[in-house]
Amino acid sequence: MDWNLVSDVAESGEAYSEGIGDFDSLVKLHRPRIFRFILASLRDPETAENLTQDCFVKAYKARERFRGDSRLGTWLMQIAANLVRDHQSNSRLKFWRRSLRSHVDLSDACDCVADQQRSPEATASAKEQVRAIWNAAADLSERQRTVFLLRFVEDMDLLEIAAVTGMKEGTVKAHLFRALQAVRAKMEELK
Amino acid sequence: MTQHLTWEQISDCLIEGAVSAHANECGSCRSEVARFESALTNFRGSVRHWSDQALSNRPERSRSALGSRIVSTTIPARGMYSGNEIKAGMSSLLVNAAIVTLLLIAGTVQPIQKKLMDYVPLIAPNLRPLPPKPEVAKGGGGGAQNSEVTKGKLPKPAPREFVPPVQPVDQPRLPMPATIVAPDMPTLSAQNIGDPLGKLGIPSAGNGLGIGIGPGKGPGVGPGSGGGVGGGAYKPGGGVSAPIALVKPEPEYSEEARKAKWSGSVTVQIVVDENGLPQDIQVTKALGMGLDQKAVEAVKRWRFKPGMKDGKPVPVIATIEVNFRLL
Repeated sequence: MDWNLVSDVAESGEAYSEGIGDFDSLVKLHRPRIFRFILASLRDPETAENLTQDCFVKAYKARERFRGDSRLGTWLMQIAANLVRDHQSNSRLKFWRRSLRSHVDLSDACDCVADQQRSPEATASAKEQVRAIWNAAADLSERQRTVFLLRFVEDMDLLEIAAVTGMKEGTVKAHLFRALQAVRAKMEELK
Repeated sequence: MTQHLTWEQISDCLIEGAVSAHANECGSCRSEVARFESALTNFRGSVRHWSDQALSNRPERSRSALGSRIVSTTIPARGMYSGNEIKAGMSSLLVNAAIVTLLLIAGTVQPIQKKLMDYVPLIAPNLRPLPPKPEVAKGGGGGAQNSEVTKGKLPKPAPREFVPPVQPVDQPRLPMPATIVAPDMPTLSAQNIGDPLGKLGIPSAGNGLGIGIGPGKGPGVGPGSGGGVGGGAYKPGGGVSAPIALVKPEPEYSEEARKAKWSGSVTVQIVVDENGLPQDIQVTKALGMGLDQKAVEAVKRWRFKPGMKDGKPVPVIATIEVNFRLL
């Protein structure tokens, strides 16, 4: 399946469900966010792109089932989180690939610390901190990582995260607490 | 001032995004929360930056994703040969046929044939142990020819036979006189090899077995077996060691002789074969009263170390005196 399909269908004037409206603008609006979440979860731009695409295809196919109970972004993020979970359970055996990828991409990701007119020392320290958080995130369980990324990268509140992951708010909080503990442990190692 | 914030409270601040009243007052707690917040903000920034970079590196997909009108056409799936399966199959057939034809033509070319003829194949030898040769230690025997041995010159006797007495070959390259294993014999001037006491007729080495001359077996002359003239076993002496008795069961007295209080000795001649067993038991000096028979029975049970010639066991004649005495 290619992007063309989604675009073509979007342009062909088919009737969309009421809640979704113009699918193309929906893609335009939410794609960077979905891509970012999947990229941070899997650390593989190629797979992230494919899964983002899958996410929108799924959303398009299931557009009639979108009841408007939650925000569209939350709904899309829910699909993305499910895709990430499926992908990880499918590729659990591909250990070598995963480890190789995480090793390579981690340095890639750490280099992306925004340079905001800091001193070289501060930049280096920031990079170290980011690296520690990446390492901590890599060691987290899939649920903890999802919750952590949704909270601290996507800036979602606890209720939204609960809606995306299908967990209770208390569970989300417990997962976040453990994730932060792991982050703290990694940051303590830096000292 | 209230107590410093615990890690749980700091995490709560980070998770809820709210700042506690204590953090506002306490500098160290505020800096601790700020440290984590800044680290997480940096992390968020790095993810966003990386994600933006990754998206901008893939412009072609982004463009199509952003709704430009592209009409998708169904392209039939193509196989390994991009739809040229028939062409590929035909060319493969042609190439293979050409190779086979080339090989067949090459087989008819003279130089190649010659090369192949020069090739000497090495066949792995049969490494199984050879079957044991039949015992050829006794008497003289011809080469299992159809006719009986004819009259002729006896080959030169020698202690060992290198060339068996076969009928002469025209101009041998490395002449070596044929010999038989026998003591010196009267010489007879004749053209062919044979027994001096044999009959006249078509040249023949006799119809015996073995490599000697005559109807017997073995490398000697005549009807017997083993070496020597007239056949028979070796006698001790002259390189032939005497057999040694290993097991000597005592003979029993016959009832008749015991009653008659008969005593004396029986002389028995035997041939001790290569296995140390007595053969051809003959009473040469009898005693009677059934004692001869008892002596033969006893000697039959004797076992010997066989006589040796050139380090090999050979049948040797031995004489045994069996004494019968009544105490």
